[in-house]
Amino acid sequence: MAKHNKVHKPARPLPSARKEPKQQKERKPLLLPVAVVFFVLVWLWAWLWYGDVFRIARESSFWSLDETLMQYMDGRPWAALWWAGLALLQFYRWPVVGALITAFLVSGSTWLLGYCLRLRGWWRLIQYLPAMLYLGATAYLGFDIYFEAQTGMIMGIPLLCFLVLLILALIIRSFAHGHRFPPIVSPPKDETPRQNRAQLAMIVLCIAVAMAITQWMRPYVRVVTTMQRQMLEEDWRGMAETARARADLSYRQIAAYYAIALVQTGEQASRLFDIRMDYDDPYIHGFNRDNPYIANYYLMDCDLHAGLVQTATRHAMEHLTMNGPSLRSLKMLAKCSLLRGEWAVASKYLRILEKVPFEGDFIRRYKPMLHNMDLVNADPEFKMVRLTEPSRDSFENLFAQPAFLGYNAALTEGRSINALWNSLLVHVYTKTMPEFIYRCQPMRGTLPPQTFAEALLMMSAKNPDVLQLYPGLEYNRTRLLNFMQDVKAYIGDYDTRKEHARELFPKYKGYYPYYYFFGNLKATRGHTKENEGSSNQGVN
Amino acid sequence: MNIYKYWNYILPTLKGGLGWVFLFLLCSCGHKTYTVPSQFTEADSVASLYPDYTDITIPANIAPLNFALLESEPTAVVAEFTGKRSGHLVTGGGKDLKVDIDSVAWRQLLQENRGADIQVNVYAQFPRGWVKFKSHTLTVAEEDIDPYLSYRLIEPGYELYRQLGLYQRNLTNFDERPIYENNRVYEEENNHCVNCHNYQNYSTRHMLFHVRAQHGGTIIVRDGKAQKVQIKGDSILTAGVYPSWHPTLPLVAFSTNKTGQAFHMMHDEKIEVQDQASDLLLYDAEKNEVCMVLNDTTQFETFPCWSPDGKWLYYCTSLEPFDPTETPDSMRQIRQVTLYDHFFYDIRRMAFDPSTRHFGPTEMVVDCASRQRSASFPRVSPDGRYLLYAEGDYGQFHIWHHSSDLFVKDLQRDSTYALTEANSPQAADSYHTWSSNGRWIVFATRRMDGNYSRAFITYFDRKGHAHKAFCMPQRDPEHNILLLKSYNVPELTRDAVRISPRDLRQCIYETEGQPATFRPRK
Repeated sequence: MAKHNKVHKPARPLPSARKEPKQQKERKPLLLPVAVVFFVLVWLWAWLWYGDVFRIARESSFWSLDETLMQYMDGRPWAALWWAGLALLQFYRWPVVGALITAFLVSGSTWLLGYCLRLRGWWRLIQYLPAMLYLGATAYLGFDIYFEAQTGMIMGIPLLCFLVLLILALIIRSFAHGHRFPPIVSPPKDETPRQNRAQLAMIVLCIAVAMAITQWMRPYVRVVTTMQRQMLEEDWRGMAETARARADLSYRQIAAYYAIALVQTGEQASRLFDIRMDYDDPYIHGFNRDNPYIANYYLMDCDLHAGLVQTATRHAMEHLTMNGPSLRSLKMLAKCSLLRGEWAVASKYLRILEKVPFEGDFIRRYKPMLHNMDLVNADPEFKMVRLTEPSRDSFENLFAQPAFLGYNAALTEGRSINALWNSLLVHVYTKTMPEFIYRCQPMRGTLPPQTFAEALLMMSAKNPDVLQLYPGLEYNRTRLLNFMQDVKAYIGDYDTRKEHARELFPKYKGYYPYYYFFGNLKATRGHTKENEGSSNQGVN
Repeated sequence: MNIYKYWNYILPTLKGGLGWVFLFLLCSCGHKTYTVPSQFTEADSVASLYPDYTDITIPANIAPLNFALLESEPTAVVAEFTGKRSGHLVTGGGKDLKVDIDSVAWRQLLQENRGADIQVNVYAQFPRGWVKFKSHTLTVAEEDIDPYLSYRLIEPGYELYRQLGLYQRNLTNFDERPIYENNRVYEEENNHCVNCHNYQNYSTRHMLFHVRAQHGGTIIVRDGKAQKVQIKGDSILTAGVYPSWHPTLPLVAFSTNKTGQAFHMMHDEKIEVQDQASDLLLYDAEKNEVCMVLNDTTQFETFPCWSPDGKWLYYCTSLEPFDPTETPDSMRQIRQVTLYDHFFYDIRRMAFDPSTRHFGPTEMVVDCASRQRSASFPRVSPDGRYLLYAEGDYGQFHIWHHSSDLFVKDLQRDSTYALTEANSPQAADSYHTWSSNGRWIVFATRRMDGNYSRAFITYFDRKGHAHKAFCMPQRDPEHNILLLKSYNVPELTRDAVRISPRDLRQCIYETEGQPATFRPRK
């Protein structure tokens, strides 16, 4: 007992004893589980940063377990792989879920690659290169990962890599004794802190490269896909806000979806020119790779929201013909069939969509509309479409293309004031001012909406009568005079205008005279030099 | 690798292991046995079936008429077939309410009841119990239908095409084989369309079809050997278009059409296809020579068709609805488009002397224009008595015209009437073909959904009347809902196409079309 008393443990540790754990901590600093970190970062990238892109890629794809529906894949090279890839892509119905699968495949493949190649120490850095290549290529390709493309590749390529590496790893594990799988949650025992930090840096670099490519090389991709996602959710105001938040970007896709949002919110006659419309060329290639007709990207959506339901049907059918079925084209065909009261074919499209996973919401919303035109007409989106439908039949071929820009401009009758606004917007957009002034007549005696008022005031210099026909235009004269004074030096030739268009935009954003003189200059030039005298051919 | 056909095996493997696969294989072997419910209540209506196979006349060699019951509540369906002479077949389906008929038992039942009726009772299991619908009848005709039906499968699109092909279906079972398919994956340098397949006298020994765009030409197959020819020339508007093989001679009558299309903005009919000009040609497949038959610039001659004896050439023709001499060339096309509903096609014919190959003067057969109606696709029955054609309100592209219906002219009695029993009142009934015995007509119609054309079959009895038409049977009754392509240009033949798709591909891809020699008509 006495012996025990002599060696009893002190209540408070001695200074030397307290020091020991600290020294231990210094020897073994915290090593982060890089595999887990990589998984989380890829997940966040694919969900929060690129989720909308993948969501729209899913909308541009089609997958079903039904053999007849998947016939379009028969005989294509690598069909089985793309079939599996398309199946996984369907989980991007909810990007948070789809991103989990992407993160699993990408980080899993990376981890397996390290195992298969028996990478040790600093060599572990190279296991991230394929993942970096995949993320970088996905960002670099932008629209091309889904626009008239084999969308099965998006998930099919990482799936293939994962499966090949998994099989290889299992073979190695089975036949190479002692070659155990490295830990996932904790770092490998032989990893030094510097190596651990280097891997973390590599991971961050990997994600940063993908984000940087999107941000600086393809800045429009996320904007457009976010707008498309908002359109699916019918968040029209959100769509318009998204476009205006990046008003400095000027791409046809953004302008198209922005116009759709404004038509739905009824702001088309006041806010159309809030974004730049000079149309830089995006990186996009169609199925024939070298001669893309990029209007295919948005034609059917614009047709529908311009009230041209039959034209939207045609474009959706052509999309389906050229690219095989996609959720986007099938949904458009279903909507158009409902709007046209073609119940049997609408039922067909809805039945097909029933065979696609995760489309329950769409079916629940539109299936009750079958044989019930009142329900169709009561739908908020369709209600706006109805307002601008043509009031009589005609042939699409007789009007400028694309039809949604050419059709209404030639008509003298419409169903609503919205139809008139849309047709007048075609004139102000294409800068066909004599026709615009002539067709403004139904608004005589009133102050027209902002864009038309600005356009009329601008044209009053040549047509003074306009001021008497539309009272109230004069209130904006000061701004017009200031503008003309401001830009006097730049309204010279085409090149001078083009040079200064961008710097003037922040100041005159949304102001029609700015658009008239400085916006859409490529089209203006094409119009004035090549199509003088014709209506609006080529100005789109 | 066609993974879709095997997904039923793959999915369980993914889910849980091979055990599921074996279980599935065990379950899928053979047909499930169904029994007629012993207790049921009787409904006062006939079952609503998809496709509608109630009260129809069918050939004894047709594939099983699998159907689905169009009801939302039932959880099972049983169908009982009782032959008037003999035979009893009970089959059914589960929750999907699809009735899958055993083909061996079906064939036996039909053979035993050739020329008699089969009564069909359909039972559905509702939550409250089994319900028996009113019986309906299948009448088995004495005469068989030609076993092979060729068609093109293409999206009902407008100007564009991508993956498409010509296929041949064995009507006695569900076997469908490609005659020729274009490229599955888009390749600019190989992209092409195929159309207008045609056979000589219901035999595939001599056949032809056109290839458009890349590798273009007309593929003439004679005795199993394919040859590509170019039926073009300075005097020919475009190339050979709508063909008709002479029943005995190596001659093909073609129309040559300069065609335009216009898209409606509001109309129920989505598209209007018009000829801006058209003529008739005669092509000698043996000599590879072509000559003009009719090229009246004031007429639009099209859709040539030989009579079965080869002594008459029928065709459609229309006048331009305005005076072309008073219309500037630049305005002519626009006028044609705007006056699209003022084109009325008549059916005329010319006598043909096979020995001299000379045509006689033209004569009117069906005068539609005077009634402000329009005819297309004349087809003479194999016995030469009936002229079958499509008649609509205007124009010639009746496959998109809701008003289009099948009509016949009894050439013996000089009477014309609609095949009302076979026609659909609202949808386009258009391209049609006789069976070689003249008792069956197969035609394309959009009646199922107004957009996608499907092949329908109707019995044409000895009195010259058609019976209720029915849809070409499919293994999966839902096939016609799920298929996103149209059945185009159905053509019956007695035998299967002999040349392989590979040989046709070789001819199309690797040979240059041999230009046909143009010979002025004597």
